[in-house]
Amino acid sequence: MEDMNLMLCAVSAAALDICALVLIIASYRERSTGNKQWKKISANMELVEQGFTYQLGCDEILIGRHASADIRLPDISVSRYHAMLTVTDGVWTITDIGSKSGVYVNGTLVKRKRLHENDVITLGNRKLTLRKITDNKKSKKRN
Amino acid sequence: MIKNPFAYLFSCLFVLAAHGAMLINIFYNGKYDDIKDLVILAAAVLGLDISYYIIMLFFKQYTYTVDFMLLLILNMSVIFQSCFGGVSFSTKHYITCIAALIACRFGHILTYNHNWIQQQKKYIWLGIGLLMIIILTLTGSRSMWINIGSFSLQPSEFMKPLLVLACATSITEQQNKHRVWKFDIVWENIILFGITGAVCLLQWWCRDLGSIPTFAAIYAAGFFLRICYPKAKFSNKTLIIAGSVVLAAALIGIKIAPEYVKDRLFVDIWSDKDGNGYQQSQALIAIADGGWFGKGPGNGFLHNVFAHESDIVFSSISEEWGLLYAIMMTLVILLIAASPLINPPRSYYHGTMCAGICAAFTVQMALNIFGSCNMIPFTGVTIPFISMGGSSMVTSGFMAGMLVAAQSPVFRKPKPKKKKTENTPVRRRYAA
Amino acid sequence: MKSIRRCQHIITLFLLIFIAGMAALVIKINREAPFYMMNSDHHELGMVYDRNGDVLFDGQGTGQYADNYFLDVGNLIGDDKGQMENTLVARNIEKLNNYSFSEGLLETGGQAAIYTTLDHYANRAVYDAYAGARGCTVAYNYKTGEILVCASIPSVDVTKGYADIANFETGTLISKAMYGTVPGSTQKVSTVISAMEALGRDNLLAKSYNCTGRYLNANGDYIDCHNVLGHGQLNLQQAVENSCNPYFAQLVADPELPLENIIQGYRRMGYAVNDDKEKYIDIDGIICEKASTTLVDKNEFRTQWGCIGQGDTLASPVQLMMWQSAVANGTGKMTMPYLVDKVFSVHGNITEIAKTRYSDKICSETTAQAVRQILLTNGANNYSVSISGYNVGVKSGTAQVKEGMEENSLLVGFLDDTRHPIAFCILIENMYSTGVTTEQIATVLLNSLCS
Repeated sequence: MEDMNLMLCAVSAAALDICALVLIIASYRERSTGNKQWKKISANMELVEQGFTYQLGCDEILIGRHASADIRLPDISVSRYHAMLTVTDGVWTITDIGSKSGVYVNGTLVKRKRLHENDVITLGNRKLTLRKITDNKKSKKRN
Repeated sequence: MIKNPFAYLFSCLFVLAAHGAMLINIFYNGKYDDIKDLVILAAAVLGLDISYYIIMLFFKQYTYTVDFMLLLILNMSVIFQSCFGGVSFSTKHYITCIAALIACRFGHILTYNHNWIQQQKKYIWLGIGLLMIIILTLTGSRSMWINIGSFSLQPSEFMKPLLVLACATSITEQQNKHRVWKFDIVWENIILFGITGAVCLLQWWCRDLGSIPTFAAIYAAGFFLRICYPKAKFSNKTLIIAGSVVLAAALIGIKIAPEYVKDRLFVDIWSDKDGNGYQQSQALIAIADGGWFGKGPGNGFLHNVFAHESDIVFSSISEEWGLLYAIMMTLVILLIAASPLINPPRSYYHGTMCAGICAAFTVQMALNIFGSCNMIPFTGVTIPFISMGGSSMVTSGFMAGMLVAAQSPVFRKPKPKKKKTENTPVRRRYAA
Repeated sequence: MKSIRRCQHIITLFLLIFIAGMAALVIKINREAPFYMMNSDHHELGMVYDRNGDVLFDGQGTGQYADNYFLDVGNLIGDDKGQMENTLVARNIEKLNNYSFSEGLLETGGQAAIYTTLDHYANRAVYDAYAGARGCTVAYNYKTGEILVCASIPSVDVTKGYADIANFETGTLISKAMYGTVPGSTQKVSTVISAMEALGRDNLLAKSYNCTGRYLNANGDYIDCHNVLGHGQLNLQQAVENSCNPYFAQLVADPELPLENIIQGYRRMGYAVNDDKEKYIDIDGIICEKASTTLVDKNEFRTQWGCIGQGDTLASPVQLMMWQSAVANGTGKMTMPYLVDKVFSVHGNITEIAKTRYSDKICSETTAQAVRQILLTNGANNYSVSISGYNVGVKSGTAQVKEGMEENSLLVGFLDDTRHPIAFCILIENMYSTGVTTEQIATVLLNSLCS
C-alpha cells in the first residue's frame, strides 16, 4: 500500500512535469509562428546601414545615441533620442522626437512620415535604408 | 491552431493526462465515501478540458500555450478544492473556474490592441475610481467584502488588472512632457502615482493590508519600466529619495498600524499556537505531516482549520498531495507568468503589462505561501487560480487573458475619429 | 529590442526572487519539520533508556514492565500527554519522534531513542528509601556532569494515565530538584564562598565571633541560634560545623565586609539578587531554576537572615548540588549537569553525544579548595558515623517553610573519591513527620552508586 501510494504520487507528479515540459516545448514552437506573424505585421522590414542590419522587433523603435535606445548610433551628429519608428497595420512611420539635426527621408526634412521600401533615412551623418528582409543573405546583425 | 497541429495535439493530450493521473491517484489513494463523487469530479474536469479545446478552435490567436496552462492549473485547483477532507465535488469553485476562463477570453479581446485601449484610458481610470467609491460606500464598516446574498464580492481584486492596464497605457505618455515652472512634468506619472497612493490608502483603510504589496509591486514594475523609457530621465538621486520616502512611509505605516495588525506582524506562532498563531502553526504541522509525497487526497486534517481553502491553501495541498506536488503547482503558475520570456511581447505596452501581471502573481503567491509558512507576516492573500474565491479567480483569469493578448497582439489603428486627423501635434498623434 | 528585453528582465527578476524564496522555504521546512511535528498532537515516540540500557520510557507502549516500573522517574522523564511540560520527553519530543520529512511518521521500525545518564537502579533505591516521606534527591558526577540520580517524591507512573489527576498530591507532576526551595543552612556555603572571595582566605579564617544563643543586630532585631545556650567564641570551621546563625549574622554585619561584595559574589554564583532577572539552567531542554535572594542592608534582619538561608532566599536542589561541584573540583568552576547522553535518529544513527561543560568561575581556586577542606572536615567530624564508609564533604540545613509551620531537612555534599566523584543534594520535606533522615538517604544513594 505504501509503495502503491508513493508510485501513484510519483506518476501524477511526473505527468504534471511532462505536461509542463510539453507546454514549454509547444510554446517554443509557437515562437516561430509568432515571429512569422510579426513579419507579417511589420511588413518584413529591416534597417540597413553599410552592411549592418538592424532588426525591427517591436512596434516602437527608438533610434538615438543613448545607451537605452533600441537602435544605437554612436555618432556625435545623432541626438541621444533622435527618432522613433512605429508600425501600424504593416506601415512603418518615422517620427522626429526632438532631435537637433532633424530627420531626412530621401533627402527631405520631415517631422513625421510614412516610410516605404528602400527609403533612405538620414540622421545626422548616418544613413539608414529600410528594406525587405532577405533570408538567404547572412549579413552582420545588430539589435 | 492550424500552424502547429502536433504541438497542440500533444498539449491537449498531456493536459488531459496530467488531470487523469491526478484522478487515478485519488481513485487509489484518496478518501471518498462513494465512487459517484469521484466520477462526477472526473467528468466535470475532463469535460471542461475537452470543451475548452473545442472553444479555443474558434479563437484566432498566435499562441495558445497560456490557455493550455490556464486550463491545466484551473482544473488542478478544481481537483484540489474538491478533495479537501474527502472527495466531494466543489461546484462553487468549478463555476468560478469557468468564470475565470470566460474572463480570460475577455481579457484577451479587450487588451490585445494597444492603439485601441489607449484611447479608452479614461474608462480605466473611471473604473478604478468607481471601484474605490464602491469600496468606500458599499462595503460595510471598513471591510473589503460586499455581501450580495450568500455571495460575497471583493471589489479590490478588480482593481489589480485595472491598475496594470493604467500603468501599461500611460507608458507612451512619457514623451509628453510639460514644462511647469522649472520642472519637466509628465502629468500621467503624477496621476498614476496618485492613483496608486489612493488605492493603497484605501486598502489600508479597509484593513486589507495584504493587497497593498501587490498594488505596490504592480506600480513598481510599471515605474521601473517608465524610468527606462526614452526621455524619462530619473537621476539616481531622485531614485534614492523616492526609495527612502517609500521606506519611511512603510515604517510609519507599521508604527501606526492598528493593534490587530501588529499582533499579526510580530507573533511567535509557537508560543501562541492556540491563539493568533493557530492557522500558521497548523499549516506548518500539516506540511511536515504531508512530507514530500503527501498523505493522499482527502486524508488531511487541515480542512478543519479556518481558511484552509484560501489563505493556507498551499499547506492544505502540501498535506494531501505532498510538498513536491505543491511546489510544482506553483511552478505552473510561474510558467504562466514566465510565458512572455519565451514568446516576447511586441510592444512596450504589452511588455509593461506582462511585467505588471508577473509582479501581481508572484507577489500574491509569495505573500500567501511565505506568510502561511511564517517567513513573513501572515496576510489573507489568495494564490491566483488556486485559492477559493470568485473575485480573485475572475481577476486572475482576466490577467491571464492579458498575457495571452501580449503574445497575440494586434496592431490595428482604430477607426479614426472624424475631428482630429492631420493637424494635431505629432506627439499627440503618436500617443493616440 | 532593448525596451522589450527590459520588460523581460523585470519579469525574470520577480520570478527569481520568488524562486529563491521558495528554495528558502523548502530548506526551512526540511530543517524544521521535526520541530513542527513536535507541536502536532500525533507522535510516534521512541524509547528512553538509562545509562545501562534499562527502559525509562516506552514511546510505543509495547513492552511489558513490572507495576510502577517507571514510578521513580515519572516526573523527570515524563511523556507527551501534555500534563507535564518540563520533562525530558516533553522537551525533547522533536528528537524522540520517529519522524523524518522524507518518510513521515514511522509507526513501526523507527529507531529514535535517547540514552540518558540516569542510573535507574540507584534512582529506584533512593526513591524507595524515602519510604513515604516527601522530597527529592539529585546526584551527579561532578567531573563529567552526568546526572545519576534525580528522584522527586511523590511521582507518577506515566503508563497509568491521568484519570485520577484531581487526587494527585501537589508537586506530583514536577521534579522538585528543578525548582527553588528554601535552602536553610546549606546557604551558608554560599555565604562562606562570597565572604572568602571578598575578604581573602586567611583573613576570614582568622575571624571569630561570639555566639550567646541570640544576636541583636544594629537595627534591633534578634537572630536566634538553634542552640539557645550559645556556642561561645567561634571560628569559621566551628561555625560551619555548628551551623551557627549569630556567627553568620555578625559576619554579614562586619564592617570589613561591604554588602556590595557579598552581592557580587552571590551574582557570580548565579543568584538573582533583589530585582535581578531570574536565571535558569537548561538541562537538555528542561528548565531548572537557579537561586534568588534579597540583600538590601547589611544590618537589616531580612538581609542577614537571607545569608543564613531563610527569608527570601530560594535555591533549586540542582543549583545547590552544582555549587558543590565547584568546591569538590577545587577549580571554582561548576560542572554543568546533563541528562541526555546520546540521541539516536529515526534511522538509528547517533545524532548527538553529550559533552562535559563548565560554568564560568564562581570563585577562585583558593576559595574553592578552602571551602572543600572545611566541608570535608565537617564530614569527617560529624558524619563519619551516619554516612559510614565514605569520605564526604557535607553541609546540612534546616529550612523553615510555610511560615515556620514545617521544617525541611537538606543535605548537600560531595564524595571525595576519584572513582566515584559524586555531588548530591538531598531534601526531605516536613522532616519531623517522617522517620527518615537525609543521612540515611545519602547512605542509600552512595551505596547504590558505588557498588
